[in-house]
Amino acid sequence: MSEQIESSSLNPSEELSFSENAPVTGQGRMDAAWGSRDGDESTSAQITNNSASVGYVFEQVYKPWNGSLNPRWMRNWAILRHHVLGIFRKGHRPWSLPTKLFIVIVFIASLGDVALTLLSALIGSPELHTMWGVNRDNLYGHVLGFFPRNMLYYPILAALLVGGVISEDRYHGTSALYFSRPISRFDYVMMKYISVAMIQAFVVLLTLMIYYFVEILAMGRGWAWIIDTFPLFLAAFAGGIILIITYTSIGLGLSSVSKGKFFPGIGLVAIVLGTKTLAVLVSNLFERDVMYLLSPYDCLAHVGQALVGTQTTYDQYSWTWSLASLVLMNAFFLYILSSRVASMEVTRE
Amino acid sequence: MSAVDYIIETTDLSKSYGPHLALENLNLKIRKGATGLLGPNGAGKSTFLKTILGLIQATSGHGTVLGHDIRTEGAAIRSRIGYMPEYDALNPDMEAIHQVKYSGELLGMNPIVAMSRAHEVLHYVGLGEQRYRNIGSFSTGMKQATKLACSIIHDPELIIADEPSNGLDANSREFMISTLQNMVNNGNRSVMMASHLMDDVERVCENMVLLHKGKLAAQGKIDDLKDIDREIEIHVWGNASKLEQKMVSIGLSVRREGRIMRILHEDDDTTSKILTCAKEVGSQIRRMHEYEASLEDLFIVIMENLGYEVKTSDDLLRNPVQARQVDAPGSMGGGS
Repeated sequence: MSEQIESSSLNPSEELSFSENAPVTGQGRMDAAWGSRDGDESTSAQITNNSASVGYVFEQVYKPWNGSLNPRWMRNWAILRHHVLGIFRKGHRPWSLPTKLFIVIVFIASLGDVALTLLSALIGSPELHTMWGVNRDNLYGHVLGFFPRNMLYYPILAALLVGGVISEDRYHGTSALYFSRPISRFDYVMMKYISVAMIQAFVVLLTLMIYYFVEILAMGRGWAWIIDTFPLFLAAFAGGIILIITYTSIGLGLSSVSKGKFFPGIGLVAIVLGTKTLAVLVSNLFERDVMYLLSPYDCLAHVGQALVGTQTTYDQYSWTWSLASLVLMNAFFLYILSSRVASMEVTRE
Repeated sequence: MSAVDYIIETTDLSKSYGPHLALENLNLKIRKGATGLLGPNGAGKSTFLKTILGLIQATSGHGTVLGHDIRTEGAAIRSRIGYMPEYDALNPDMEAIHQVKYSGELLGMNPIVAMSRAHEVLHYVGLGEQRYRNIGSFSTGMKQATKLACSIIHDPELIIADEPSNGLDANSREFMISTLQNMVNNGNRSVMMASHLMDDVERVCENMVLLHKGKLAAQGKIDDLKDIDREIEIHVWGNASKLEQKMVSIGLSVRREGRIMRILHEDDDTTSKILTCAKEVGSQIRRMHEYEASLEDLFIVIMENLGYEVKTSDDLLRNPVQARQVDAPGSMGGGS
């Protein structure tokens, strides 16, 4: 709605001239400053007649939505994105700063052998390359061997990642957000499991791949070398997968029985380091090595050594015992995980 | 009424946890619109909600929600309803906009669509200006509003709100109630509201379902149900005790608090009987009016007097006096 308002004004037909002889009146400058000519002389103006609702800043109007919902894979993809992208971007799962920082540190530290391989290629040092370049022992060592990795880097990385993945849903009640949606318990657990496993794979397996391919590029390896060493690479890769699965299963199992991230995190590290310490103590005191079967660290190392084909630490026992022990550990913690998630409530925790 | 008009229907629905019977032969028909789900702690409200969401399997009986079988189509039901939990269900380290967006993605919404819709619903629940704030910095009312936004992001046909006004201050509570009313009246959505706050239920809902110890205590329109406890309140001056005795002697049901008495409105003659009694004993009746029970009164009456046998408002209204005596203890006029 609008209404016309009359105004007294100049005659619209009046034209201004700007010849060189015209007197300097300032009219042109006035026009430039205050008018555009077109419509300036109009005797009417349009104004709105809408009556603004005085005192109402907020108007509550329910807007319907007629879109369609995507199927199961899209919901699962959402869970995966939420957890994985949270490491890199805002707006997804908020990982803590120490966790992000530790991932960066471990990622860079895991590339130490890559840097030394590059250096040996650049300076042409065969001794340095023998120590750090790709070979059977170093491929094993990249994932499971070099001291801080399997012992400290990866358990702590897993502890930081999996510690709060389920326990915080229980603590914050966000499990209700999942289970009041068309998401099954299996999908919930599976996608969380894959999410944290993927982040660990980013550190453990991606650096292994970089290590292997940097060797090919930097040392100019040919097909014969690749055919010779690729099975070793795959074996080390498989060892890394077993490591990720085992630590994720233990960590998520512990996370599912807790309401915080401290207990599952410290619990995972305690299991890895504690069982190893126990095995060492028993071995030293009683000269019995069999306790290593309780240690995920030792069992992973044993299986990894067998897969890669390097010298095994416990060569008096078959590596299949270690594999069986790992399977049992995984089964036990996955059972805890599934039974605890099955009991998670929607209505209250 | 056709089956389409019922959003929830159950037939002999039972759920037991071992020897404990959490729900017993529930026969419900809940219409579109707003319905209050009432009951004391342990009444079976949570079990009922979980059962109709398809999260737990009923031991026997069957039911449908929005036409979907609760036994086999739980995922389809959860796609079409919006559930607002009673307790915290938000990540305090996330911004409200991203939390609401994620709740939409969990339903299968495209991330871009979910973000767009998250803006809309957060504006609708009054958090338009706060949507980029961390949820951890929100007040209880804002958290409740965020939970509501999460539950309505996909424009569900039925919103199940579990204690939506729990722990809110007066302003927040008013806003939450008016928002739910707005969704029912202007949005044409259905709301099932479980609450202990009778006033809130009364303001939002026209129907109610009352559970007690896993059984259906009452269901129907709140206004109809209120009629079972219609009373006439009189303010007496002089001979109050004599008047009370006189009214009791002619069979009226009287509750007395000093000079104020409430007499059960049994039929159209009740008023004239009261006046006759007053005239006979020489009492003045200074004030006389119909006393309309609140939902809270109704709740107490049903829980204390009626027991489980009453099923619908029709049953209650058929013969309120007899209904009152079904399970009521002797001191309350029962024991028949």
